[in-house]
Amino acid sequence: MALNIGWLDDLAKAKDRAGQTGKPVLLDFFNPK
Amino acid sequence: MGAVTYPNEQVVKFVDYNFVPVQIEVSNTALMSQFKVNWTPTIIVLDADGNEVHRVVGFLPPEEFIPTFMVAKGKWYFNAEQQPEAQGMFDEALRGYPDSSAAAEAVFFLGVSRYKMTHDPKPLREAYETLTAKFPGSEWTKRAAPYRLIPQ
Repeated sequence: MALNIGWLDDLAKAKDRAGQTGKPVLLDFFNPK
Repeated sequence: MGAVTYPNEQVVKFVDYNFVPVQIEVSNTALMSQFKVNWTPTIIVLDADGNEVHRVVGFLPPEEFIPTFMVAKGKWYFNAEQQPEAQGMFDEALRGYPDSSAAAEAVFFLGVSRYKMTHDPKPLREAYETLTAKFPGSEWTKRAAPYRLIPQ
C-alpha cells in the first residue's frame, strides 16, 4: 500500500497544529494542472 | 513534485515526522499574494507564528528534497536558539547527503550554530576551511570568506 504525505489544505490549521506539535510548517504552493 | 518526489517513501516519512505539511493551490490568490509566490512549485518553511524560515522555488528530486529540508529544519531550530538540535539536523544532512546541493549550506550553518553556542570563533574558521576544500564554487563558500581572517 502506497504511503502519502498527510497534507492539510488550511494554513491556519497547519500553524495551529505546528504550535501544538512543536514542528515547523511545510507550505507547498502547487499547480494541480 | 507530486509525480516523483512526494510519492517517495523516504520523503513521506521525512515530511510527516519533521513538519506539519500543508498544500495550497495556485487558485488561492490571497495566499499567493501574501507570500509573494509567482512560480510553482514554491515550498516555504514557516514557524508556528507564520515567520518564514526557508524558501525553495523549483523542482527537487527526493535525494535533494530531504537534505534541503533537513537544513531548513535546522534553521528553524537555529532561529529558536535550539543550537544542539540545529546542529543535529545540519550534521544529519551532511552525513546522509554529503554530495547534495544543500550540503554547503549545512556546513555554513553548522559553523555559525557552533559559534552561537560557544562564542568560540574557531567553528567559523573551520566552516570556511571545509567549504573551501569541498565546495569551492558554492555561494556559501563566498559568504564564509570573512571567516578566513579568524586565527586558527
